[in-house]
Amino acid sequence: MIDAEKLKILTESAKYDVSCSSSGSARKNTKNGIGNASFGGICHSFTPDGRCISLLKILLGNRCVYNCLYCPNRAEADVPRASATPDEICELVISFYRRNYIEGLFLSSAVEISPDATMERMLETVVKLRKVYNFNGYIHLKGIPHADRLLVSRAAEYADRMSYNIELPSEKSLKLLAPQKSKESVFLPMRRLASEKRALGEEKGAKRRVFLPAGQTTQMIVGASPESDGEILRLSEAMYRRFSLKRVYYSSYIPVVKHSLLPDRAAGLLREHRLYQADWLMRFYGFGANEIASEGENLPAEYDPKCAWALKNMHLFPVEINRAPLEMLLRVPGIGNIGAYKIMKARKFSALDFSDLEKMRVVLKRARHFITCKGKFYGNENRAAVRALLAAENESVKYEQLSLFSSPELSLSALTGQL
Amino acid sequence: MKIYLTDGTPYGFYTAAFFAPEGEDLISSQKNVQLTLGCEIVCVETDREKAERVLARLRRCDPFAEEEISLILRSKDGRRERTALDYLAKILDRRAPVRAQLSDPAVLAARDFVRRVRGEAHRFTGFLRFTEGENGVFYAPFEPDNDVLELILPHFAERLKNQAFIIHDVKRKKAALYNGRERAIVCTDEKVSVSLSCREQDFQALWAEYYRSANIAERPHEKQMKGYMPVRYWKYMPEKNRDL
Repeated sequence: MIDAEKLKILTESAKYDVSCSSSGSARKNTKNGIGNASFGGICHSFTPDGRCISLLKILLGNRCVYNCLYCPNRAEADVPRASATPDEICELVISFYRRNYIEGLFLSSAVEISPDATMERMLETVVKLRKVYNFNGYIHLKGIPHADRLLVSRAAEYADRMSYNIELPSEKSLKLLAPQKSKESVFLPMRRLASEKRALGEEKGAKRRVFLPAGQTTQMIVGASPESDGEILRLSEAMYRRFSLKRVYYSSYIPVVKHSLLPDRAAGLLREHRLYQADWLMRFYGFGANEIASEGENLPAEYDPKCAWALKNMHLFPVEINRAPLEMLLRVPGIGNIGAYKIMKARKFSALDFSDLEKMRVVLKRARHFITCKGKFYGNENRAAVRALLAAENESVKYEQLSLFSSPELSLSALTGQL
Repeated sequence: MKIYLTDGTPYGFYTAAFFAPEGEDLISSQKNVQLTLGCEIVCVETDREKAERVLARLRRCDPFAEEEISLILRSKDGRRERTALDYLAKILDRRAPVRAQLSDPAVLAARDFVRRVRGEAHRFTGFLRFTEGENGVFYAPFEPDNDVLELILPHFAERLKNQAFIIHDVKRKKAALYNGRERAIVCTDEKVSVSLSCREQDFQALWAEYYRSANIAERPHEKQMKGYMPVRYWKYMPEKNRDL
């Protein structure tokens, strides 16, 4: 059995990776097996920082030969080091899983000796877990850049999800802060996995292999380098399109290491929150990155990106709730996917007025300024006042004038991006 | 006004519904129901045949409503029978599914009840904790608000197929047994003593250690933790009860 000290070191080294989801795979249990995957994902616990524990997130080892400046495990750092054997990890996963502590394994590793050697040991762990321990639960595997492509695609046959971390939003920042990594060393394996998955997806019949059923994700640190939100969102959009990523995670920078090239202040959680909101707009609301923020622009702190967009496009509002198409309903500030869905369903039976929306618990605090119900406008402000607000926003004047649109109970629930 | 008192089972509910309570009439399974002036209590003897007739009509109108109503009846809320009856009456009245009429209060209430029960069942697929007994049987006590034991049993029986386990609803004094092949629901005593396997304490300690290490102490957000994982569920979770 793994000892507590080792577990502690390997967990603390892994905890800054924000990805925690266990969704997207519907792997079935086998006859002699243990475990299956739940398509929607399951959270098993929550830590006092408000993040969920779903997978056993752990490093195979933290003796790293790389020297990325922002990383607490970089080669030059003076931290306790440990590595676990594949059997120790497997035993831990199985006994935690039997007690329903976890949904599966998230295995990552520092680059020990060489990328190939590291990837090989990770592969060994995953194969053992699947073949010897007959484990059918969720496995998320971190890819090691520069590792041999055969190792990688073999690993992908056993994992549910793989991820390569892009880490920093531009090649320039990568050169500066993580000299052993390059954009291409991350993009290349992502591209290969994506095309392999696509090719296998076209195969038909019972022999079709399972290959990364939960797809790929990536993560980048926000606030350690000077890129604007506009640039970051464009990068995300391109990755969603080119590699069919399931998620991009944003992790606001925490200074765990002091260095002259790194900011000594943590990037605010609010920025991370706004980026997640914008990311959601791109994935579920039909927005393009160029609509949300221009290239060099940062997202406003006072209100969410959808409000910002609506204020810039007041000529499209107000929309009539009983006639507007779904795409337009989704663009009303304060109306989300569920709200829009409820409205679409309910309005088939009778025309909805304002009190109907209230009864249906559609959030109207922001929406009221952008909609009409049966032709009637219920906003507290008349249109001119909202226009004035838009003007005020354009001149980027004081916070107080705009606070009308920022909800005070704004929770940073996207702290980890798990929602 | 009449109050139809049932035994709390779905068949009891449908039997009472057969007598076509109208207007202000109520169905309840609670003995301590509040009486108003001039109300009359009718004890309903569960009659499968009558219940089946109501059910057959319901299935003709909406094939999915039966499951929704069974979920509503699992709620801890004392108004569950009333909510179910309002929903049932609406469907039978329209002779069609009414699920999408979200501006109707009866539909909305039914939807809320269903969501709360389903939501809690989903939560316990995550928050349930097994302990390994000396005899190799895994034991998981829990105290759900709603009656979700039967809802989570299939999930665990599929997932932990080759593992004998007991899931015990301590408050309702019933347990689900699984021996690797068959499942059964039985009544239990309130206190069950289980002797733990020798490794159990070690794994609980490891789990608590993992839980502590995974936390980012510089970013406390207890409110969010408690929002997602309410304190009333902590009782049987080793990571919240072991101070190392």
